[in-house]
Order: sequence, then structure tokens, then C-alpha cells
Amino acid sequence: MFQQKGHQDPFVHVGSVTAPDAHMALAYAKECFFRRREGRDLWVVKRSHVHHLGDPSMLDQITDKSYRYPEAYRGVVGKREAAKAKVAAMTGAGPAPRSAASTAGDEYE
Amino acid sequence: MNSQSVSELKEEQRTSLRSVLLGIADDELIMGHRHSEWTGWAPHIEEDIAFSSIAQDEIGHANLYYQLIAELDQTSVDMIALGRTAGQYTNAVICERPNRDWAFTLARHFLYEVAERIRLESFRSSSFKPLADASAKLLNEERYHEMHADAWLRRLASGPVEGRTQLETAIGDALGESAGLFEPYQLESEALGSGFLPSSSMELLHVWLEEVCSRIEDAGLPFNISPAPIGEVVPTASGALMGDASSDESVPAAKPAIQRKDGLWIIEGPLPGSGGRLGQHSAEFQDLWDDLTRTYREEPQATW
Repeated sequence: MFQQKGHQDPFVHVGSVTAPDAHMALAYAKECFFRRREGRDLWVVKRSHVHHLGDPSMLDQITDKSYRYPEAYRGVVGKREAAKAKVAAMTGAGPAPRSAASTAGDEYE
Repeated sequence: MNSQSVSELKEEQRTSLRSVLLGIADDELIMGHRHSEWTGWAPHIEEDIAFSSIAQDEIGHANLYYQLIAELDQTSVDMIALGRTAGQYTNAVICERPNRDWAFTLARHFLYEVAERIRLESFRSSSFKPLADASAKLLNEERYHEMHADAWLRRLASGPVEGRTQLETAIGDALGESAGLFEPYQLESEALGSGFLPSSSMELLHVWLEEVCSRIEDAGLPFNISPAPIGEVVPTASGALMGDASSDESVPAAKPAIQRKDGLWIIEGPLPGSGGRLGQHSAEFQDLWDDLTRTYREEPQATW
């Protein structure tokens, strides 16, 4: 049973009901979870249609994944500005033009 | 016509309006009361909550209509709802029948909800604006009740044989007497003339009969109408009612002649399940009334 509060809010799982089919499940969900006008819409999804990862240990982070967190990039703008200044001081000119290779594609993010 | 201009009505018009409002209010209160007896006992927790909510809703509908009557009578809602003798209640007899079992409760629930919706649709064009407004509002809640009733009907009709058989029997038992929901109100012709009632009870009876019979048939359930006590209540041309109550046990119950003729479902002969609009009730109503009004009778002046 998923409930949506405002029209831009995500549907959030709030509980479950036992019912023989989706039609009955909706009838029950309305009274079990919306008796006091708790939201604006609801979904019911049959439990067997929810697929479970099975092994939550797969979610563990074994090695350093700090680069995946925004905190790892704190100060990156300052570092880039410092690097630009350093290049300009060394060449006495503006930043180097991008090479042909870097505009030709084959780059992925 | 609004509540304020009611004082300008002629006495018969006012009485006819009151009898319409009282009939539907009493149907709702008594139906809600029977439904509420399932609280704590329904087949499972989700159903218990859903059905208890429906019971509360029906009593809430009754409250709305009683407010309109209280304005007409210059009295309190409690006085109207709980301060009358059993013979002053004008609900249809089907509403007061004990719940018996879950199948009978559901069969009656289905038959009642369809009747209620048809009635409300018609009242939307009542010349008495407070009734028209209340009906438009209640129809919204009514959609849920019908969704619930319909889900059960279809589920049981296509389910295992035991539930299906019980539902078949229950529909057969409840169908005839439910026609009494369309027993004409007292002074109905007056209410029709004033536009309080946009359609006569007999017109609505046929709309209801057509719909419930088709839906029962579509669900694949057979028609085995059980004998129902028939009050010898016959609407006359003037809308007044003549005849006797159904409470006389010596009158043998007869099988209502509900059948399809020329493609339409019809009831032949006297209207089954009638008498309620005249205050003629089954012995079972006495117990319900006793239970319903006990607290009020102990201390009518108490406030809550």
C-alpha cells in the first residue's frame, strides 16, 4: 500500500492489507490508511510483484568509495582555479585550446 | 424551496416533506446500526475497519437528514433520532432484519446501496434545496459503499462453491423484502406535487429492480427468490396506503413474483417487504429499538 500526500510527493509505502484481489485491496486500503484524509492518492501493489534483492550484504561498501559522495569534491572549484592560474603563469597565455581528440567523441561519463 | 421558506408551506406539504425525510433517515440509521453490529466480528481486520466505516457513514447520512427534520419540527436531532417509539420509525423492514450471517449482510448491503444511489440521484432535483444539496454530497460517499459491495458480490459469485451458494441463498432471501425500500412514503402524492420528490417510489422501484436483477444475473448467480412476508399494503391512486401490516404471523409468507416479462424485470402483486413506512415493523425491530435508544431513554437531557 503506497500513499501520496501532495500531488508532487512520491508514493511512499505505508503498510499492507490482506485481500483476495486488487479491487478489494483498494477498498480496504482506503479505509485502513485514509480514514482521516491522510493523502490524495493511493496505489496497491501485489506483494508477489515486488522483487527483493535477496542478499542485502551486496549493498555493503568493501573498498573506499568516497569518490561517490559529493563531500569528496568539496573545494574542487578552488583547485581548478588554482590550476588555471598556474598554467597561465607558466605559458604566459590563456588556457590551452581543447585538442581535436577531446571533441571527437568516445568519451563517457 | 429552502429551510427558511418551509414556514410558508401548507400543513399537508410540510407533513409530506417530513415523511420523505424521515423514511430515508430511518433507513440509514437502522441500516447503519445493523452494520455496526459487525464491529469486532467481521471476517478479518481489514473488513472490520471497512465495514465499520460504512456503518458510521450511514449513521452520518441519517444525521444529515435528521437535521433537516429537526429544523422543520423545531426540535433536536437526538429527539428525532432516538426519542420516538418503535412504531414511529418509518424505515423499510429489510433494514431492521438481524444480520444473520455475513452472506445475508452482504446481499442486503448490495441491494441497499444500489437503492440508496438511485434514490439520491433522484433527490438531486428535489425542489427542497437542502435535500437536493445533501443528496449531491452523499453520492460521493456512496461510490465507496458500492465499490465495496460490488467487490464482494463479484468475488463471491466467481469464487468457491460454498461462499457462492451462501450468497445465492442470501440474495434470494433479501431481494423480495428489499423492494420495501420503495414502499411509497406517507402523503407521497403531495410530495410529488410539491416537487420534493422528483420521481415516485414506484418509478424508482422499477429502475432499482432492473439494475439489481441484471447485475445479479451478470454475476452468474441464479434467481431463487425465497418467500417474503408480504404486507397487504397497496398504494392507492392518491398515494395513501391501505391495508394491513406484515407482522401478522398467521398470514403465510408468499413468494414475490419477481420475473422477467417482455425483457423487463417486474414485481407482480402486492409489494413485498412493505409496512415499514407506516411504522409497521417485525418483532425483531423491538429488540433493535430497545438497544438503539436505551442510553437516550435513561437520560434524555444528557449532552455528549
